[in-house]
Amino acid sequence: MNTLYLEYLKLKKKTRNWLGPILVFILIMIAYPLTVEFLQKDLEQGFFSLLWISMLLSMMLATEDIFLEDFNDGSLEQILISTSSFPILIAKKIFIYWAMIGIPISLFSFLFSLSITKDLQVSLLIMPLSMLCTYIFLNLFVFGSALSLNKGSVLGAIITMPIALPVLIVLGKSVIAIQFGINYLEFLLLLLGGLSIIITAVPFIVSYVIKAHLE
Amino acid sequence: MIKKFIHQFASPKTYLFQVNRVYKYIFYFSLLIYTFSLIWGLLFTPEDFVQGNSFRIIYLHVPASFLSQSLYAIMAIASVTYLIWRVKLAAYLIIAIAPIGAMTTFLALISGSIWGIPTWGTWWQWDARITSTLILFIMYLGLISLHNSFSNFEKADKLLSWLVIVGFINIPIIKKSVDWWSTLHQSASITLTDKPSIDPSMLYPLIGSMIGFFGLIFCLVIISSKLQIFKREKTKSWIKDYV
Repeated sequence: MNTLYLEYLKLKKKTRNWLGPILVFILIMIAYPLTVEFLQKDLEQGFFSLLWISMLLSMMLATEDIFLEDFNDGSLEQILISTSSFPILIAKKIFIYWAMIGIPISLFSFLFSLSITKDLQVSLLIMPLSMLCTYIFLNLFVFGSALSLNKGSVLGAIITMPIALPVLIVLGKSVIAIQFGINYLEFLLLLLGGLSIIITAVPFIVSYVIKAHLE
Repeated sequence: MIKKFIHQFASPKTYLFQVNRVYKYIFYFSLLIYTFSLIWGLLFTPEDFVQGNSFRIIYLHVPASFLSQSLYAIMAIASVTYLIWRVKLAAYLIIAIAPIGAMTTFLALISGSIWGIPTWGTWWQWDARITSTLILFIMYLGLISLHNSFSNFEKADKLLSWLVIVGFINIPIIKKSVDWWSTLHQSASITLTDKPSIDPSMLYPLIGSMIGFFGLIFCLVIISSKLQIFKREKTKSWIKDYV
């Protein structure tokens, strides 16, 4: 059976793993207006920061036990021995996670952005950024999750969070670029460039890390 | 010949004997230079026109900040060396440097805060340089906790090396944070390409204090790496002879 489809089925079966992060994201977004004064200006002020941070948290939640089940039942070891293309399998796994968690979150980010900023153009420009950043965050947290494979998800989050800092900086600058109508494409391309490096490097690094765990 | 020397020096045994020979000289030389520079900087350098006497904290803050990033860069080089050439000593160095890196970063943050009170009127600002340095400090703690969470040293070394290499992305950001953002923190006064914007009467003791502080921290790294060697190689016969 196609491994991509198999990964999809495996994730689909674990409803908590893919639905949980999406629901957490939605809940944070819904809770946000309750914590600020109901003035449009106040709402817009901190919205984008919250959007990126909640995406970061959701992706962290999504990946916390991405390899744990396979590791515990021994299938990870079998996959490592039986397939020569372990990095490709990891890349596929990350892609499926992105397709099932990252894309819905990006779509919701468009909706929430539209409802809070009331600006269709801004919301449309936010969506590609969300798609790229969720994929980048997923890759980074998969790396953290692989490092702390059976040592609990908190350790993985602590050690990977600082690495996500550059992405948050670029996202913050992109929002300013959108609001002032300048350089948006440059930031988008910068993220795309970063993503292309990350999706090439992370599967290999993760496979080395998992090999080190299983040795 | 150089290759032979590197191969020999990369053995923990040779390293231990070689550093024991030079350690004492480096320590006394650095202590002398640092004390001399501190006395020069604190007592004989004129007051700053704007900041008054408070600027004198640079003789601690600048070397500590510089080292907090340099030590990470050294760890990254050691990680690459370990992963490619499997040099054991490099792995020992990575974990030997991590707590010292955390300590210097903490020192940079604390001395910066103390300096911030009279100069900026605040001890903390969520400013690009300060926040990124705080993240570097958290990264150091993360590295230490990752290494401590494994009882198998070899596995811990490999994982740590990967994390150090991936985390290196933050170093240029910290370095360039004062140029890329408009921040409270000033830009670098001493660069490789331009003439220093700091007065020579303050610059010379600063250079002296940096050399002295580097030397002292280098001695700490030597002690810490020796401890790692004792811990890891305790079953080897040469260690028993050495002790």
